[in-house]
Parts: sequence; C-alpha cells; structure tokens
Amino acid sequence: MQRKMSRREMLKATAAGAAGLASGLSAATVLASDAASGFAAPPLQDAVTIRFQESEQEYADVVAAYKEVAPNVNIEFVNITGVDHAEIASKILAQLAAGQPVDIGYAATEATQLYAGEGLALPLKNRVMDSQADLAEYFSDVSPVLVETDLYQDDLYQLPRDFNAANMYFNTALLTEAGLEVPGEEWTKDDFVEYAKAMTGIGGGDSFGYGWTNRLWGSWTPWFFVNDTNLLAEERAPGGEWLWGTFYKDDPNAAGRGGGWLWPAPQANNPAMVEALEFVVSLTEQGLTPVVELGGGATLQGFFTSGKLGMTPAGGFWSGGLTNAGMEKGGFDVQFWPKWATQRHQLGVGAAWILNGGGNEDAAWEFVKFNTRKDVMEMIGFFGERTRTTPVRRSMNNEERYSKTGPANWHVFYDTLDKRPDTGPIPAPTFSIEETNIYTRYTSLATSGEMTPKDALDGMQSELEALYARNPSYPPSN
Amino acid sequence: MQSTTVSTRDTAQARTRFRRPEWLPRNPGSWLQLLLLSVMAVFTLMPFVWVVSTSLRTPAQSFTVPPEWIPVDMDFSNYTRVFDEIPFWNQILNSFAITISVVCGQLLTASLAGYAFARLRFRGRNVLFWIVLATLMIPGQATIIPVFILISRVFGLSDTLWALIIPGISTAFGTFLLRQYFLQIPNDFEEAAMIDGANQWQIFRKIYLPLASPGLAILAVLTFNAKWNDYFTPLIFMNTKERFPITLGIVDLQGYMATGSISVVLAGIVLSTIPVIIIYMFGQRYLIEGLMMGGLKG
Amino acid sequence: MTSYTVQPSEGPRRNALVRWLAADTMNGIKRQRAILGYTFLIPTIVGLLLFIVGPMLFTFALSFFKWNVFRPPEVIGFANFERLFSDPRVFVSFRNTFLLVIMTVTMLEVLAMSLALAVHRLASRALGYFFRTAYFLPVLLSGAAVAVTLGYLFHQDFGVINYYLGKVGVPKIAWLTDSNVVLWTISLTTVWRNMGFTFIIYLGGVSSLPSEVLEAAQVDGAAGWRRIRSIVLPLLSPTILFATVTDIIKMLQFFDEPFIMTRGGPGDASRTVVMMMYENAFGNLDFGYGSAIALILFAVIMIVTGVQFVLSRRWVFYN
Repeated sequence: MQRKMSRREMLKATAAGAAGLASGLSAATVLASDAASGFAAPPLQDAVTIRFQESEQEYADVVAAYKEVAPNVNIEFVNITGVDHAEIASKILAQLAAGQPVDIGYAATEATQLYAGEGLALPLKNRVMDSQADLAEYFSDVSPVLVETDLYQDDLYQLPRDFNAANMYFNTALLTEAGLEVPGEEWTKDDFVEYAKAMTGIGGGDSFGYGWTNRLWGSWTPWFFVNDTNLLAEERAPGGEWLWGTFYKDDPNAAGRGGGWLWPAPQANNPAMVEALEFVVSLTEQGLTPVVELGGGATLQGFFTSGKLGMTPAGGFWSGGLTNAGMEKGGFDVQFWPKWATQRHQLGVGAAWILNGGGNEDAAWEFVKFNTRKDVMEMIGFFGERTRTTPVRRSMNNEERYSKTGPANWHVFYDTLDKRPDTGPIPAPTFSIEETNIYTRYTSLATSGEMTPKDALDGMQSELEALYARNPSYPPSN
Repeated sequence: MQSTTVSTRDTAQARTRFRRPEWLPRNPGSWLQLLLLSVMAVFTLMPFVWVVSTSLRTPAQSFTVPPEWIPVDMDFSNYTRVFDEIPFWNQILNSFAITISVVCGQLLTASLAGYAFARLRFRGRNVLFWIVLATLMIPGQATIIPVFILISRVFGLSDTLWALIIPGISTAFGTFLLRQYFLQIPNDFEEAAMIDGANQWQIFRKIYLPLASPGLAILAVLTFNAKWNDYFTPLIFMNTKERFPITLGIVDLQGYMATGSISVVLAGIVLSTIPVIIIYMFGQRYLIEGLMMGGLKG
Repeated sequence: MTSYTVQPSEGPRRNALVRWLAADTMNGIKRQRAILGYTFLIPTIVGLLLFIVGPMLFTFALSFFKWNVFRPPEVIGFANFERLFSDPRVFVSFRNTFLLVIMTVTMLEVLAMSLALAVHRLASRALGYFFRTAYFLPVLLSGAAVAVTLGYLFHQDFGVINYYLGKVGVPKIAWLTDSNVVLWTISLTTVWRNMGFTFIIYLGGVSSLPSEVLEAAQVDGAAGWRRIRSIVLPLLSPTILFATVTDIIKMLQFFDEPFIMTRGGPGDASRTVVMMMYENAFGNLDFGYGSAIALILFAVIMIVTGVQFVLSRRWVFYN
C-alpha cells in the first residue's frame, strides 16, 4: 500500500516535471521565433500560457472547466484592482511599456475604441466569420445594440460579456411613504419631477428625491440622451453587413446598423444640451438633489441604501450591489428612464479583447470563444447569486437570476435593449478619458453654481474642440 | 518625565486642601495648554470613532443623522465578510514582509549615508548630497513606468514581493533625516573618542549611532507607515491576489463597479489598521526610549 | 576641528593595508574618513541612481517626445514646453499648489511644534502617551481609508461635520464643491492626516534639547514665550529646517487628498501640479506633456529648496 502510493506520487511528480519542462521549452521556442521574425504562433498542441486580465475569484470555475477542454492551456491571472479607468489604464500601459502586456484584457466602452484604434486589440472579423457555427447561438441571444458598440471601422474587437444601461432605481420605502408606486414604462420627465418632489424631505426629514454622481456613465448623460442629443455628434461608420447579414438576418432590431459608432465632432453647447443641463441644475436649486459629487458612486450607494435618496441612475450591477450593501429584496425597484423628447437610454458594454501581435492570438481566441458559451458564462462569479453586472445574454436575464436579490422589475434591464433599440453607448472616442475629464470638470462648475449651464457648456465645447484638434487622426477616414 | 520640575515649584499645592493628582495641571496656563491638547485630540480621533462605529452597524443604519457614535447592536457580520471576500491573512503577511524588510534596509543604508554626509569630509560630498536631496523632489507617479520596466525586464522581479522591497531600500528622506541628527551631535564626543584611540568605524558604531537613536526610531516608524500604506506601486507591480499587500485588498473590497458594501470596506480598514496601531503602540516604547536617549546627552 | 597630534596607538600588528588605512596621523585620519564616507554612501547612491535618478532622467528625456506608449515616441523638440507655458490650466495648478503649500505648511509647523513642546512638558506619563498616540493615529491610515471616511464626514447634505455646525447655527458649507472653500478643506484634511508625522519629528527635536533649556522655558506667560523664542527656537532650528524642507517638498507634490476628495474640482479649483501631470500622462496618454510638467515642478522644488538652504545659513544653529 505504502509503496503503491509513493509510486503514484512519483509518477505524478514526473508528469508535472515534464509539463513544466515542456512549457519552459515552448516558451523558449516562442521567444526564439519571436526574435526570428514574429510569425506563426505556436500550434495549439503545445503548452501555452495566457495572461488573462481577470480576478481569479470570479473566473476560477471557468478556468477549471477550460482545463478539461484544453489541458495544454495554462491561464495566468493578472489582477487589476484600479478604482477608476485611469488607474486600470496606468497598469495596462506600464505593462505595455515593459513589453509584458496581457494576452487577454478587459475593456468597457470607455476603452474599446482606444485599444482598437491604437492597434492593441486584435480585430476579430475573420475569426468570427470562420467560427459561425460556434458563435451563432451566442449572437442569437445577444442584442445587436450591444454588439454594435464593439464594432470599430467595420471590424469587431470584442464579444460583449456584460452591460449596464442607466435605468431609474427607486427606494421603495420612500416611494411608499410618499404614497407612490413604481411608475409605468411610459412615464415622463414631468412625472419624474413630481416623484422627486414627493420623495424629498421625508424618511426622517432629510431625504432627497434624486441623486447622481458626476462622471461619464449615468451622470446627467441619461438626460441629454432622452432630450435627443449627445455630447459628441454621433455617426455610424459604413460596413457591418458581414455581421448583421450573418447573425442577425431575422432580428428587426438589427436594421439600420453599421460598422460601428463614430463621434466626429463635439456639440456640448447645442440648445438641447443646454436645456438638459439646466434641468438637472434646477433640481439641485430646488433642493431635490443633494450636492453632486465626483467619483465612482460608492457614496451614492451608501445614501441610497440607508434611505436618503428616492431615485438614482444605475444599471443591473446595482441589483446585486445593493443586496451586497445590505438592502433587502423588495427594498428597491427599477424602471426605464423617463421620457422627454425621446426615451433613448445610454449604456456601457464590457468585454474581453485579445492582444494583437502577442503571439498567443489563436489560443486566446479559443478561450474567448469558450467564454461565450452560456454554461460557461453562468460560471462567472459576478453572474452568480448576487448579480453584480448585467449578463449580455437575453436568456440569462430571467426570473431565477433575480429572484433572490433583484428588483421586481428585473426585466427592465434587457427590455431597455429590446423595447428601446435606439439605446446607444456613452460617447467614447479613442481619447475618452480626456473627454470625460473635460465633461466632469465643467459639469462640476455648473452643479456647484459657479457657472451658468450655458457658460459651462460653452467652455466645455471649446476645450473639446481643442481636444479634437490635438487628435487629427480621429475620426479615422476609411 | 519632568518630575524634577514639579517638585521645585509647588508653592500653590501647599495651600490646597486635597492632593492634586499627578496629571492635573498646576496653573491657569497649563490648564489652557491641556485644554488645547485635548481639543486637538478630539479632532484627530473623531473620524476613527466614526469609522469603528459605522463598521459595526448594518449598512441601512450607516448614515443616520444625528450621527450615532456608539453602535447599539454590535453587528460583526461586516468583519466576517472581509475574510470571505479577500485573502486577508495572506495580504497582511505580505504587507508585514514588505514593510519590515524595507524598514530594516532603510535604517541600515540611511544611517550610513546620513553619517557620511554629516560627519565625514571627502571630495564631492556636497554634490552627492544635492543629488540625494534632488531625488526627494520627483513625484513617484513620474517615475513609475521606467521603474517598472527596470524591475520587470532587467531584474525579472515583477509580481514578486522583491519588486516592492528592492526599490524602497535606499532613501533620500531617511538620509536627510539622519544627517540632521548627526549634525546636531557635538564634536566633543568625537574628539574624546579619538583620544581614547577609537577608529573611525568605532566612532560611528559605538558613539554616534546610539546618539542618533531618536532619528532611527522616527525613521523606522515613518517608513513602516509609508510602506504599509503604499498603494500605487503595488497596483502597477503586482498581479496575483495572494501576493497583494493589504492596501490593494481594501480597494478590492469596494468591489466590481463599486458594488461592495461601504460597511465591509470600513471593517476592512479597521482590520488592516489594527496591526499598524499595535506596532505603533509597541514601538512607541522604543520610540520614546530612543527620544529620551538622545535627550540625555545635553 | 581642533588641531593636536594624536599619540600612536599600541594596537596589535596589522597588515600593510590595514596599517595604511588605520594610520593615526592627521592624513591617515582624513584618508580613513574619506574612504569610510564613500563606502557608507555606496548602498544609498547606487539605489537612488538605479531607482530614482535613472528613471527621472528617462522621464525628463520624454518631455521632448510625443509618446502614448502604444506607438514609438516621436521627437517634437520644445513643443511640450511651449504648450505648457501657454496652458492656463497649468498655471492654475501651480497657483493652487503654492496656496496649499503655504496654508498647510504654516499650520503644520506651528501646530506640530506647539503640540510637541506642550506634550513634552506634560507632567503625566500616561497623558503624554495618550496625546502622542492620538496625534499619530491619522498618519497610520491609508489613502483609501481617508477617501472613504472624509468623503462622508465632509458631505454637504449628509455629513457629520455640517450636522454639528448646523446645531450651532452655521448654514451648510459646501466643503468640497465651493471654489472658495475647497482649498481650505483639503488643507485641513492634509493637516489632520500629516500633523502626526511632523509632530513626531518635532518631538524628536525637543527631546534632544538639554533638559535645563526646557526647564528654563517652563515659565508661563510673556517671560516663558520670550525664553522659548530666544533659547528653544534657535536650538530647535536644525529640526525646524528639516521639517519645513521635507514638508514643503512633500506638499509641493500634493496628490492624494485632492485626488481622493475632489478629483481637482469644482472645475480646476483644487487641481494640483502632480494631478495635472498624472492626468496628462496616464489619463490623456500624453507622457511627453506629463513629463514636461514633472520637469518644471522639479525645477521649482529645486529652487525653493535651494533658497531655503541659503536662508537657513542665517538662522540655523548647529552645535
């Protein structure tokens, strides 16, 4: 018995040693071929290590499952714990500068065009077209609204994983105290003001009807979307037929889409923009909105959870987030953004991108594709019991997912895409971090009352124009 | 501490009926002084009380106004969740390993360099001192990328604890601090030692180093604290959660898209601050002894 | 140094090198001290050259390039500096930084020194221990902790501070969103967070004073103050020089507090030079421009520190 055990262990050790040796050798081969001319990634039979920008906590099950499918592929986690996009970008850039970038990164809408435009992310069009059989089911379950945000110049750079559209969250305790109910889908901006007034000054006397955080996503951005305008003029690049014609032939919502969004010029001070900013500033002036802060939204969540805010913009990430923060099921609910000139919502989409020219493109692509499978997506930690971001698959937005922690109106998350297919991404050209900085800076001057909305937007416009002048290569000309 | 002065001027006490406790001040000026000290202490401590009491409350009760300073129903669930969500002990141990290595390294290099700048004469001393001082004047954010390239490409140490230790061992601040301490020590000591036949190393090791102990103690405490709270460097250098220091763990608690609970974050802050407070309370004895030893020389 | 001849020592026999090094002549001692000096500096100088001076030169060189990391750097000569000198936002960030330095360093030095003197003369050991610990505690907190805590305490509508001010009839103050207030808020926060640091340095300075000097200054009122000014302050002057130089250098690199609390807002009202540098480099991916700002900041700190050292010859008193 004793002897058998030790022999088995020895075998194990030998196997591990051999695997280690093999991976070492293959790494040496990669380096050698890289030095020679950089062509031909190693064939998939060899052991490959993929550096994956994700948290092990969230992806442990996925990687374990992949080990069974592709035992030769070793996934190495690169955890990036930044509090904002600039911090995450700091790390990606430092790694890039040191010549050690990740093989698979993660980008939200804010960075999609940056990585695509700078050639960092691998274009996926040909690979997608070669894998139609593998991907048809995935695309049939994902709204074209989401896929369109990951197109850039007629090529696809990411396969969407999660999204968040800004819907209106309600604190149900304050609603009840104000004698109100969650409004219907068709509610309007004027209804909203009534709601905000009714929920101000109750709940112990210091509650506010509506609160928001000054940033790009879900800031006052939803208000200019429903006022039928945008910070930057929007345009659809030509192309995309290959995608829409292949995977979305029968989807009416795919009609009229192109080869990806472009934002050719700033238009911060057009009358509809001014009107939208004047509206949100008037909420502060009437005392319906507490002081507007810059930041990640953590403060806002604290005040919403403790019953100080009646309404606030948020997406599916809050359904698990609020539960995480201690709210009971039923303590909050959600509805579409109120109608103004339109009812067009704004959203952000997150997905993996593959490093272009890193040598591991083929192996990385197989893993990314594996991640689009429904059973695999279900394994991701934040799509677990507490859903901490909205899954892109329609079929995963179901009663069961939100039964324990979600809002009663959970279907609003995906209805935003299916019933309001004009929903579009937050404006995020290649220089979106700088754009965001200008946007939040002038917004803070308007909300603190130091500039009129009109003056703030004039200032914003002239700085955005200077920004475009410094980036003559955007929008790219075909 | 100043017990000798108390006994010399105690005429007021003789007239009072009761015995004044030792800590009570003896005249109006001192009362005022104690009052100011106490007011400052209230200001510095108030946020701590708030953090601790909020971390012991459920999130729904977190931001009650008027603020409740004493948590009524002690809710420790926020604390247990910290352990569920991050590899807390691992990260605390990493922080200790990094911090203690850097503190020891800095004490060694800075005492040598500080002594050289203060007490030894050699060609190029002033130029070298200005170079050292100049390195204080560059913000860390400006050099992080070249340092990362160096650590990962040249040394091959990225994602190891060494990446956070090695660049921290040399210190311009510590060198400057200890130089000032060595400068304050009178020359008489050196002259006396030389007459006794001590060599230059012995003069440093046996005479000047002990006299600079307040400086060493201060450097140790300040370095410990700066390194313990370092956030930006590990953010760039480290990839594996098990190798993170606790500062990154705390940011992790804020969760994907800030979906974590603030109360859990506060609990994490309290937990991660406890070791530093213990080290400080324990180290304070040495710190004060160090300060007193420096004071004896007069 | 006093000049006198040193008696040859009667140590054991040593080899030639050691004998040369340990020669007890004036020249030998000079030689020993020079060699010891260079040896002692090696670890510090090598480390600093490798991890700060080298990277610093790399950064300075970048200021003549346009570089976004994705593409190879491109030489653009002085264009970054031309842009910098005509950029009103850079000017504002320097103005903010100077204001913050003046406000913060003044408060820090006065408070830390007074508290150090006061704590040192406390009769009670336990009280001394308590105050030392209390003042040092905020230094132990990390940036993340300060961010979360103060964001709530200073909140205009739900914050504890405005609540208590309201109790005594002060209307709500927009601590973080009023251009005229925000620098004070950040300065106060910085003093709160860093006072213990400076305090400990002063406590070290006060502790190394001869006890007779402190006893002489124990008198209260005008006489005591005069004695502090004429005896204690001159003796503390090396500590004061050290504390102000390092505090000013540190505060000229103001980053954490405004970055955490206001992100530089409202508008640019609390944006500092290092924030401008960081945002341009890492946010706007313009490492050349960020480096140019870093270079100018470096020059400014160099000048300020140089001036302090020159002035210090007049008032700093070494034994």
